[in-house]
Order: sequence, then C-alpha cells, then structure tokens
Amino acid sequence: MAYRYLFEQMVRRELRQKYKGSALGVLWYLVNPLVLMGAYYLMFGIIFKVAGPDQPEQYPLFLLIGLVVWIFFSQSLLSSAPSLLEHGALVRKARFPREAIPASVVTVQLVTFVVLLALLAPVTIAIRGSLDPALLVLPLVLACLFAFVLGLALAVSVLHAYFRDVAPILSAALLPWFFMSPIFFEPESITQRETARFVLEWVNPVAPFIGSVRDVVYGGAVPQAADLAYILVAATIALLGGIALFRRMQGELAVVV
Amino acid sequence: MSGRFDDSVAPGEIVLEHASRAFSVRADRGRSLKELLIGRRRAGGPPPVEALKDVSLRIEPGETVGMVGRNGAGKSSTLRVLSGIVPLNSGRVACGGQIVAQLELGAGFGRDFSGRENIFLNGALHGLVKEQIEARIEAIVEFSELGDFIDAPVATYSSGMFLRLGFAIAAHLDADVLLIDEVLAVGDEAFQRKCEARIAEQIAAGATLVLVSHDAALIERTCQRVVVLDGGRKIFDGPVGEGMHFYHRLMGTPEEEAASPPMPSEPPGERV
Repeated sequence: MAYRYLFEQMVRRELRQKYKGSALGVLWYLVNPLVLMGAYYLMFGIIFKVAGPDQPEQYPLFLLIGLVVWIFFSQSLLSSAPSLLEHGALVRKARFPREAIPASVVTVQLVTFVVLLALLAPVTIAIRGSLDPALLVLPLVLACLFAFVLGLALAVSVLHAYFRDVAPILSAALLPWFFMSPIFFEPESITQRETARFVLEWVNPVAPFIGSVRDVVYGGAVPQAADLAYILVAATIALLGGIALFRRMQGELAVVV
Repeated sequence: MSGRFDDSVAPGEIVLEHASRAFSVRADRGRSLKELLIGRRRAGGPPPVEALKDVSLRIEPGETVGMVGRNGAGKSSTLRVLSGIVPLNSGRVACGGQIVAQLELGAGFGRDFSGRENIFLNGALHGLVKEQIEARIEAIVEFSELGDFIDAPVATYSSGMFLRLGFAIAAHLDADVLLIDEVLAVGDEAFQRKCEARIAEQIAAGATLVLVSHDAALIERTCQRVVVLDGGRKIFDGPVGEGMHFYHRLMGTPEEEAASPPMPSEPPGERV
C-alpha cells in the first residue's frame, strides 16, 4: 500500500486546490450545498408544499436529508467526470495508479457530505426528540453509498477521457434524474399506481440510498431488509464494475487526455 | 502479454522486445459518442504515426545509454514506453525497480502550492511515503538552492527555479532506472554541472541511465553506450565513440539512411 500516501496527498490537494487563496477557503465546499438546500427548502418546503410526510413541520428535515444525499451523488459524478483531463499533466508524465484521481474527488465530496449530515444531526435532535440507536446502521449505509458513487465516478471519469460527450450528457441527465428521485416527495404520497411507484422506488438506483439514509436519520428506524439488500448489491456491482472498466480502459490515458 | 508493462525483471534492468507503438495524429484526441455509436472513426486526416517499429533493446543494470536521433525518431516515445506511461501496441516492455522518469521537470506541480508541498506530492507520485520524503526533504531543498522560496507558491517561481526544484526532487528518489529526456539544460551553468554530478553519483550508486539529448558532448561525457533511432527503428546500438560517429554521419548525410533497410537483430557495436 505504498500509494496510500499518494491518495492522502491527492485528497489534500483536491480539497485545497479549488478555493485556494479565497477568504473562505475550504468552507466554500459547504456554501454551495447550503445555498442549494436553502433554495429548495424555500421552494418546496414553503412555497409549494409538495406531498411530503405526515407531519408538515418536520418536512424541512425530510427534504434536506434527501437533498444532501443527492448533492453528494451528483457533485461527485459531475466533478469526477472531467478530473482525469484536469490532471492531464500528471497523467501524461508520471506513472501512478490513476484511480487516485477520481477517488480523491469523490473523497472530498464525501467529506463535504459527512459535514453537512453532521450539521443536520442537531436539527434532527431538536425536531425529532432523540437520537435513535438505529443511527448505528448509518456507517454501513454510508459505506455502501460511498462505494456506489466511487464505482460510478471511476466509470464516468475514464469514459469521459475517451468520449468527451460523457460529461455533458451526465449534466443534462442529472436534472430530470433529480426530479424523479424521492428527494422532496415520497413515492407513495404522489402516486397510487403500482408500476409508477415501483419505478420511482426501485428502478432509480439512487432512490434506495436516499430512502435508507432517510430511514435512519429522519425515521429513526433501521431500513427494511429489501432496501439494505438493494444498496449492498448496487454498491458491489457499481464498485466492481467501475474498477473493472477503469482497469480495462486506462492503458491509453496518457495518450488521450 | 503483448503491450503489458512488466516490472518483474531485476532492478535497473530494461528489456524491449519487438516493441511497436503508433499514435494517431488528431487535433481532438477524444472520441465523440457519435463515432462510438457509428462504430468507426472519421475518415481522412493523417495516418497514425509509427513512433516505434519493432525495437528490441536490452539494457543491463548500471549501464549508461544515450539515445540520439533526429526529431521524431521515437526517442521520447521510447522513454514514455519504458516508464510505463504509454503501453505498446505489440511486443514486450520490462523495466525493473524504482523508475524515475524526468520527461518534463515539474510536470505535476500544483501551481498554488508551495515548493515544499509539491515535494511531498511528487514523492508520493513515485510511491514514497511521508517518512521517506521527510528524510530527504532537507537535501532536496538544499540542492534546489531555493532557500526561503521553498515555502512560497510555485506560481511565484521563475522558470529556472521551477526546473531546479523539479530536478532536485527527481534526483533524490533513489532511482534504479533514470530516464531523462532533454531536461538537463536546467538553470545556469553552475547548476547544470551540479545536475551532471548528481547523475554521476546516482550512476556510481548503481542506477541505470537512459538519456535522450541532442547535446553530443553531454552524451559522450555521461554514456558508455549509444542507441541511434531513426523513423521509429533502432539503426545503431554500440559503444559511445562509434555511436556518435555514426550519428554525426547520419545527421550530415540524411539520404544515406533511406538506402539501408534495418534488420531486426544485431550484435552490439555493429551497424544494422
């Protein structure tokens, strides 16, 4: 594991590079998601009260937890897609495990995500009364989420290095994907049709991750076995598939980036 | 396996067997999705450039090899293949031990980071861990002659300072194989002498050197063996004196090279 230190260095560099020299520094990583959360809260929590959970005063928390999961997912993919090209000077001139580049991008997003989640925890306590022991499942759920996103990020980054349409397609796809994900609604509260609910809950692979994090943090309950099984399988497939694709395609990276 | 980089040979040993590599020449290097879906690349444009054509080369640990040839002969491609950055289309490449490729000094520097921070990142890129880098950081800083600038962002460096730091890092990585591409024209004359002396020290410690340069005097001072490449083929491999002679004749009379079809294998020291 000689390259563990390289990974550490890459994460550090990734974290500080973007906002180096700015007054807020790394705090900027939190500003954008917080502004986004504020805007969606204003829109869906106050202006349009979409079909949310039963207790409206707890809706903000419901919304924000779904949103932080989505922000982690989408920001990780959006920033890892061009990452190999952005580090082209390194890729062209040095030999090292190139996985370290997208992995460091996702890790920085993970740090942001965990900080945002930690900011939400006091709100949870304030509104929901107590910290539930179900929170102990959270590390497992987050590990699955990280593996899932990392696998997709590896795939997206290496694909974009060869096919430059990948990042634009991704950013176009993420917007409708966002609205189809159970972030500001629960599938059962917006439709009674079985097929539509099935699509919203299971065909969209992000949905069970949002559901599981929300079950634990917001619902104070351990996710259902079906959800846990789904996220375990999805995480395994995404990670192994992403690693395999990256290994297979990385040979020509120094030539194409 | 064909094209796969092999690091299972002895530290410092270099093997190329029937190595071939071509590069497509296009302005936009990525492929568009349309081309992927149609299943073929746009027609037209120049054909791929064959940078290496069936090159075989064996370098023993501790040898010092100069690689010469005109522009586009395949020298830099050879170094990129030996360093494992670019794979072969066919043939075998093997290179053992810690490979330090100086293809472009300071290539991976983060401009917003200090010299010191970049030393850590660069060391990490070569598989070193924190303690190993800390153990040699004083030597690197001293060698680079940057003084207090080492804690200033690299963006504020002059190009000479930038290159000096790049060389200083690469020169302290305990290389088994040193691959150097025309980067010794670093800084002023005094610093160049210092670089050469440092390379000599590493050779004395047993490192293998492959040096690409157009500086004939430098090759003659540093290398015992010379490989001449032309059009992606090896056309000479032998002792430095004879090799440079061959090279000078090649450069003086370019029509000569067209008349002699190269052969795949050759005893050292003979024109092929």
